[in-house]
Amino acid sequence: MIEVDEKQMPWFPDMTVASVFETLDNVEFCSVVRLNGKLVSSPKFAETIIPDNSKIQLLPLVSGG
Amino acid sequence: MNQINLKEIKSISYERAKIKNGYTDKSLRVNLDANDIIINPIEENIKNKFIGGKGYDLWLMWNAVKGSTRWNDPENAICISSGPLGGTPGYPGGGKSIVTSISPLTGAPIDSNVGGYFGPYKKFSGFDVIQVDGKAKKDTIIFIDGIENKIKIFEATDLPIDAYELSDVLTRHFDENKPVNVSVVTTGPGAANTFFGCLNFSWWDAGRKRVRYKQAGRGGIGTVFADKKVKAIVARCGTISMKSNNPADFEGLKLVTKSHSKEIKELDPKQNRMSLVGTTHLVPIMNDHDCLPVHNFKFGSHPQSRIIGEEVYEHIFDKGYDGCWKGCTVACSHGVKDFSPFTGPYRGQKVFVDGPEYETIAGCGSSLGIFDAHTILEINFYCDAYGLDTISVGTSIAFVMECFENNQITMDHTGGMDLSFGNRFNALEIIHQMARGEGFGAIVGKGIRQMKQIFAKDFGADAAFMQDIGMESKGLEFSEYMTKESLAQQGGYGLALKGPQHDEAWLIFLDMVHNFMPTFEDKAEALHWFPMFRTWFGLCGLCKLPWNDIVPEDNKDTLEPAKVTKHLGWYADFFSAVTGRKSGPDDLLAMSEGVYNFQRIFNLKMGYGTRKHDTLPYRAVGPVTVEEYESRQERYDEQLKEKYSLDISNMNSRDKVAALRQKRLEQYELLKDAVYERRGWNNNGIPTLATVKRLGIDFPEVLEVLKKNGVA
Ligand code: SF4
Repeated sequence: MIEVDEKQMPWFPDMTVASVFETLDNVEFCSVVRLNGKLVSSPKFAETIIPDNSKIQLLPLVSGG
Repeated sequence: MNQINLKEIKSISYERAKIKNGYTDKSLRVNLDANDIIINPIEENIKNKFIGGKGYDLWLMWNAVKGSTRWNDPENAICISSGPLGGTPGYPGGGKSIVTSISPLTGAPIDSNVGGYFGPYKKFSGFDVIQVDGKAKKDTIIFIDGIENKIKIFEATDLPIDAYELSDVLTRHFDENKPVNVSVVTTGPGAANTFFGCLNFSWWDAGRKRVRYKQAGRGGIGTVFADKKVKAIVARCGTISMKSNNPADFEGLKLVTKSHSKEIKELDPKQNRMSLVGTTHLVPIMNDHDCLPVHNFKFGSHPQSRIIGEEVYEHIFDKGYDGCWKGCTVACSHGVKDFSPFTGPYRGQKVFVDGPEYETIAGCGSSLGIFDAHTILEINFYCDAYGLDTISVGTSIAFVMECFENNQITMDHTGGMDLSFGNRFNALEIIHQMARGEGFGAIVGKGIRQMKQIFAKDFGADAAFMQDIGMESKGLEFSEYMTKESLAQQGGYGLALKGPQHDEAWLIFLDMVHNFMPTFEDKAEALHWFPMFRTWFGLCGLCKLPWNDIVPEDNKDTLEPAKVTKHLGWYADFFSAVTGRKSGPDDLLAMSEGVYNFQRIFNLKMGYGTRKHDTLPYRAVGPVTVEEYESRQERYDEQLKEKYSLDISNMNSRDKVAALRQKRLEQYELLKDAVYERRGWNNNGIPTLATVKRLGIDFPEVLEVLKKNGVA
């Protein structure tokens, strides 16, 4: 299992951030996540593999200083 | 402690105005030519139109200066105001000061929004706004004592030279027993020797028992301060509380303060973790989206950027509460203790560094090719201590480095310094030279616009190339975001009233990443709404970060997530509760629109503020060189083929650079048309008569300026 914004989701091998996003609603404004504490930005969503038992936080729209 | 000498040359006692609904309705003017201290009432119609903060500053400035006034003329004024909501303890971001002056860099009004306690302390001492004009003959300190109800002017000798020590010495001097009662505004030696001096606004960090400071960085207000021979403005006031503003609806104020503050406390740890990392999280994010300026904005990312971002600074920042306003739960103003510089006058000593924030890291780190967290800290420290704006310093040195690497300037011009990208020792040496007003640093301290002329005239450098790569617009150096791939953000910088600073509009992600505004009309709407709403924070004395850097959990499910609608409602409630003027979100926007247009016309009065002044260096619009083009070849080739239907099969890279340039510059001009129309301006970028009438800013002097510029 993985946790996305404190909600449990089943994990599968080769799961990527992009594949998790396909299952979520209203994520078009999310361009950055924190995966186990590390920032991952949208250009890397497709290549970033999610290990089992991961914790993901979806960061809101990045707003700039 | 240093022995300082203060000779009192003027002192008045005054009756402190009672604050009502966030206002004292009084302004304070200190004229340094005659050492006059004048207290004036603020009329109700001015209050209604200009609201406070930047609005009050601009109104006073407008009346202080003529169209021919230059930054170093005595009549140029420095105005500082905090706005009606400023000084609300516990409201996140509720204590900012807004500073304005005629800028040495741009020749037009510049404004800077800054933390620290000065603005609220000045207000609770009895004044909504302070105006300092004239020029002192000797080093001067202005003291506003809201406890004894006295205003004093001192001639000062034997003061520490730099802001780091000066802020500390003056805080302890003016209230040794309760330093928390004191906030000082200072600058340093670099301000007198460059055109981009900053002001440091202090607060007493009770946890660490030391003075901290934030910078009013942009546009060289510190340089004006130094030119007037003002060493410091000090405000002292007693304990303040949520009742200090005498709000119209105290229970309503308590409720909205609690709601916003609680939400931030709960959600910041799940979102950007600004209470731990400040704005350093933006470094890897910008890098990964190809928006981090690298080598003078040539590139947007670098493999080493991770080592100058949050992953490193989180561990370096000193732990403890870091709000630059009392009770701000974002608490993002971090610092580093026991830092030991390896150059300059503090070499080998242990100092506290306030920062760095994202802008300093990007401007003085990646843009210079310096990927070393400690060097960035050292640059940050010396810029603050010397009173230099880290953004202009970084962007100017980056320009110099690119000129050096392209043989536009050589070691013969730099005093023997190798200024290749990444040369951290010589970057620091330039900063030390700027502070002393010596050597090549003295030239760099004039800013990019003047450097371009000097390099062309005296060093034979290529003026057209420098025009393309010199990252300034309106005379102000760019803040630290790459705009090449976001037309909307090109407008965000190029159409900003004071020059390319992102506080008016930050649309890169909405435009480039989310493609949320595909048409010119969409972009124009955003370039209307966001600058107007962001202006409102400056009118009221607030920090913008709590609005959209931490957002409600359900924000993404709302109709317009970028506006963070729930927070708009809270800000309207906040305004209503303090001032008693019942307002909704649309009313906030209307307040800003009048002031925004007034500032545009102020630019016009000073000889700027038309279409031709809203230009950008081509580096901000597209790839200047073949090297840049080829670094993003796939993207650019596709654009030429798909978006502009060009056959590129027989084009070499140089041809493609030229073709793209033509198209992109056309797009930028079309964007200007759309934005001007949306803002109610004519095709030359001047507000129309109908617009100024609609906004109620049709004062006779305003109409006269419009008439002179062909709008009648
Ligand atoms: S959000 Fe950060 S910068 Fe703004 S007032 Fe709070 S601590 Fe200061």
